[in-house]
Amino acid sequence: MELEYREIFDAMPCFVTVQDRSFRIVEANRRFRQHFGDFEGRYCYQVYKRRSERCEVCPVARTFRDGESHESEEGVRTLTGEELAVLVSTMPVRNRTDEIVAVIEMSTDVTHIKRLHALLGRSQRRYQALFDQVPCYISTQDLDLNIIEANRAFQDDFGSVLGRKCYEAYKHRTSPCEPCPVRQTFDDGRSHTREEVVTSLDGRRRHVLVTAAPIRDGGGQVTRVMEMSADITEVRELEDRLTQLGLLIGSVSHSLKGLLNGLGGGLYMVDSGLSRGDEARVQKGWSAVRRNADRIKAMVSDILYYAKDRVPNWETLSAADVAEDVVATMEARARELGVGVEVSTDAAAGSFEGDPQAVRALLSNLVENGLDACRLHDSPGDHGVTVRVRGDDDDVLFEVEDDGIGMDRETQEKAFSLFFSSKGTGTGLGLFIADKIAQAHGGDIALHSERGRGTMFVVRLPRVRRGGAAETAPPMTKGETIHA
Amino acid sequence: MPDDAKKILVVDDDPDARDFFRTVMEDHGYVVACAKDGNDALAQLNEETPDLVTLDMTMPERSGVAVYRALKEDTAFTGVPVIIITGISEDFRQFISTRRQVPPPEGYLSKPVEAQDLVDIVGRLLGREAYQS
Repeated sequence: MELEYREIFDAMPCFVTVQDRSFRIVEANRRFRQHFGDFEGRYCYQVYKRRSERCEVCPVARTFRDGESHESEEGVRTLTGEELAVLVSTMPVRNRTDEIVAVIEMSTDVTHIKRLHALLGRSQRRYQALFDQVPCYISTQDLDLNIIEANRAFQDDFGSVLGRKCYEAYKHRTSPCEPCPVRQTFDDGRSHTREEVVTSLDGRRRHVLVTAAPIRDGGGQVTRVMEMSADITEVRELEDRLTQLGLLIGSVSHSLKGLLNGLGGGLYMVDSGLSRGDEARVQKGWSAVRRNADRIKAMVSDILYYAKDRVPNWETLSAADVAEDVVATMEARARELGVGVEVSTDAAAGSFEGDPQAVRALLSNLVENGLDACRLHDSPGDHGVTVRVRGDDDDVLFEVEDDGIGMDRETQEKAFSLFFSSKGTGTGLGLFIADKIAQAHGGDIALHSERGRGTMFVVRLPRVRRGGAAETAPPMTKGETIHA
Repeated sequence: MPDDAKKILVVDDDPDARDFFRTVMEDHGYVVACAKDGNDALAQLNEETPDLVTLDMTMPERSGVAVYRALKEDTAFTGVPVIIITGISEDFRQFISTRRQVPPPEGYLSKPVEAQDLVDIVGRLLGREAYQS
């Protein structure tokens, strides 16, 4: 070989061999010799691969056959036993009569590239696992807000979203949200966070905390934005529950203060009555003490009921029997207030599944409400509460109707909430609890009222137990959740 | 009781509270009239001006507020001290502070009320002129 070719030959950053038709190495560069030793009279497969015969797929052979360049990826072993991955490239050498007399084989060491490749593969698989296992929704959007990638959680809850607009897949909107944290991130390249309410495929609304983060290309441009949404629905529900508890405490405090005031008043009259020898005063005071002590007891009972785990104790109950029991229990109270109470059932009332104690408490609360409404009327004796039971195939209906003072619109709207009772000495809990019991049975209570005319509650309870409401009811006690 | 005994109007929707306050005040020589809600109170105020009013602020439909406004905005009642009796004084303090044109009451009492506190504050506001039994 000419001298300058020799220099290039030796300087090339790969292993170069020249082989004759029988694959004997006739020439090799320095790098080759350094790594694989002397070549004189040896075959390439011997030197490169310590084989005793030709490799099955040999790019050199192919080049001899068709005169074209060929490539392959091979594994070779050096003198020191090191295994290398090489990218082999072959070239024909033609003589003057255009016959192929030899093939040049150039092998580039790509071992480190392969290693990086493997690392990259591992990295990618790990990223993919993370992407899919992370317990929040992750998607990647392009500048037009098309969803390019979405993790398992996202697809499970929102369907196959790839290629769809994020605002359409997440929120069933026809236009982007205002403001859109993803767009904001595209605009300024910074992370943006926002709380949103989204609706999953099953129709559930979820509160999510959305963070949009920029994904940049090699030149630092934001080409994609990753949107990560953590489901904080439970947190919000717990917050609501805390607010409810706060209201409850406020309501209870207020009522308690009123009752303690009444109790204190009674005690004052008993004390002063005793010291004056005024028996009439003592009697009056004592009945105030009794009355207020009873009310305090009832209120504590309500609170304990509210705080207790409310999984219903399911039994099959006769609707008519339950209604009659409740009215019988309430008769004494009604008499005391000078108000009427009665029950009327029809043959279709039938039976239903429910917790006997809870259902009775529910109806008693409604009857009590009615009795109070009548008592507050100008001529209580002419007014009363009627409990009716009806039913259809699916549900049992209890109607508790009174012709007392009725509720104005504002009171109706607040009737079932933890609200300061519209009666000075009410606990504000009775209707709230009644509503919760109805829900725990998969039913509901409807309220119809007209100020000055009266009120009717219609309690609908399914005949066959439905735990549906329980799944969405907040946990009743710390650390426990109701499962139907 | 002497003719010049001071007259107190007790406004409260709880009958036990009305009995309580009336008994205490009568025991200390005052003449007491009671009203069970805002309308009743306003009707009685139209008939006769009392020397002092105790007003429960937590009656339904904010009727306590209506009475309070009447007492503070109508010149017929200037000089009639008003004691607000409330289960939640914080709410009322807030109410007062957001309505700067409405003057504050002459006294506050929180339920449960101590008889002696009521006597003391009424006594102070009416100059202790009532006949003491």
